[in-house]
Amino acid sequence: MAASISRILGLHTLESCASRVSVSLANKRSLTSVTAQPVPQSAGLLTVRENFERCNFHTSSAMCWERPHGPRNWLKYNERKFPPTPLGEEERPAFVCHLKKNIKYSPSKMWYVASLVRGLRIDDAINQLKFVHKKGSVAARETLEEARDLAVKDHNVEFPSNLWVSESFVGKGMVIRGFRRHARSRFGKVEYKYCHYFVTLEEGEPPEHYYPHRRPLTPQEMLQEWIDNQRQRTITRSL
Amino acid sequence: MAARITSQLSKLTLLSSSSSVCLPPLSRSYYVYKDPNYKHFRPNFAFKRKHYIPKFKKARSLKVIKLDLPNLNEKSVEEMTPDEIRAKMKEKGIQPVRPWQEKPVYVASTSGTFEAYVPPEGDGKLSATSKAGAKQKFQFLEKKGKSMIAIRKIRQYDEDFDPKVFAEEAQKIYIETHEALADFDKVRLHQNVTERAYPLVTHQSRQKTIRWQFLGSLAPPHVVHARCTELLNKENVFAQVTVRFHTKQTLAVYDRFGRLQHGSEVVARDVLEYVVFEKHVASSYGTWRIHDKIIPDWMPPRQPILKTYRFEDIEPEVKTTPDDKESKEVEVATVTQNQSASPAYA
Repeated sequence: MAASISRILGLHTLESCASRVSVSLANKRSLTSVTAQPVPQSAGLLTVRENFERCNFHTSSAMCWERPHGPRNWLKYNERKFPPTPLGEEERPAFVCHLKKNIKYSPSKMWYVASLVRGLRIDDAINQLKFVHKKGSVAARETLEEARDLAVKDHNVEFPSNLWVSESFVGKGMVIRGFRRHARSRFGKVEYKYCHYFVTLEEGEPPEHYYPHRRPLTPQEMLQEWIDNQRQRTITRSL
Repeated sequence: MAARITSQLSKLTLLSSSSSVCLPPLSRSYYVYKDPNYKHFRPNFAFKRKHYIPKFKKARSLKVIKLDLPNLNEKSVEEMTPDEIRAKMKEKGIQPVRPWQEKPVYVASTSGTFEAYVPPEGDGKLSATSKAGAKQKFQFLEKKGKSMIAIRKIRQYDEDFDPKVFAEEAQKIYIETHEALADFDKVRLHQNVTERAYPLVTHQSRQKTIRWQFLGSLAPPHVVHARCTELLNKENVFAQVTVRFHTKQTLAVYDRFGRLQHGSEVVARDVLEYVVFEKHVASSYGTWRIHDKIIPDWMPPRQPILKTYRFEDIEPEVKTTPDDKESKEVEVATVTQNQSASPAYA
């Protein structure tokens, strides 16, 4: 467990996990990082720790330690450039893609929040999320508000209320595995889940039915359906 | 039995506390719920989210091994202050990076315009052929002493420097810069624009389609100002020459989605600009490049974008000292526009 945590989180020292596994791992690290410089021995601070990492690759302190990075390709949609609309054609509506990474919430629970917001106007979506009693609704609301501000600031959207949520979905993030004991020396695993929330806002009016296959049918369509069903009937074992 | 009767009798009397009779201690044959030394956890079957007996809460919580979850949404390294980075690295046990400064720094352009030209008010408004326009004398460059000294200094390094010929060359550079910006050709842009002016020229032009056309000059380009500066050394000379352009242009800016954001492709506009060109004359590889543009106070504001936008109300930072209340330098107005889409050269 300690080894998996270190791999996932990219920690270079394992002081937090006081287990034998961590000590052996740390010893391995000291062999790989060969340094010619003498170790500065400041009063008692580093004498206990024998293993410390030296940043041999980077020339600045930036990114000297690893961090799990979230999805990187979603925001590239914001950099797509379209040619000027030719004469006679309708203008393309503006859109902005935004995300919130590493929300400490289960993706399957976050799905409910994402589904609620799909196809709503931005103001309606934010107002609904204010009254959803779920942890993920806070993160979703922040994402929508940030996306709205970005649309007005960077993507030439005139009215911040003229936006609707065209895409809203959840992606699985990091999962840290822990364990717990049960009665009679039985063990169970505990998963600490993270998720990413993705949103696309489009300018203009939302469609009447976001899922066209689920829309309520018109009376004419219902009648036609009934007629078709009646016509499909057959008499079994007839000539 | 006698003890029991006396205890029951003492309970009945109202003055049981003040009675002088001393009773023997009661024997505990059944649990006394009023005794504070005994803690009873009454089971609560109504609240379903917790265990119904809170008695072994502590033991139950010890069953789950508590993990220190990482804070993944902490500040990125670019946003952290140096002290925070140092603290973080100490926490992780990473030694600080060795400062390896082997990269040479080369200064290719100055950081601003030295002794900027002040354009006369009302310039470009009246035609030179009209009576009023003729009265408005055009100040010849030969009459300006400091500019002539600067031109003489330029001739020390560049013998063939002639202001009249240079004005035509400057116009070519000006046109090429605009065309390079429309194509967003970084190589050509860097050849025609100094490092200091590059971010100003390319400001807000990424993910936008720019269509620019040069229709002609209303007046031939003139050199109006010239100065020379030295950086670090007395020999390291930079020359800055201001050229006045009065031209007819069309500019259309389309946003990321191909919608017209600013200007028009059809409607031409008269543009009066004072552009500063700079050259590193001391170096043999120096070329004339656009360095800065002088925007006088009397210049009318730029054409706004086609859409409406909300104006951010940032109060100007007025540093009021009793002496300098009237001086303009004291007021630093930092009013920014939300949707100023037009590039720096309008």
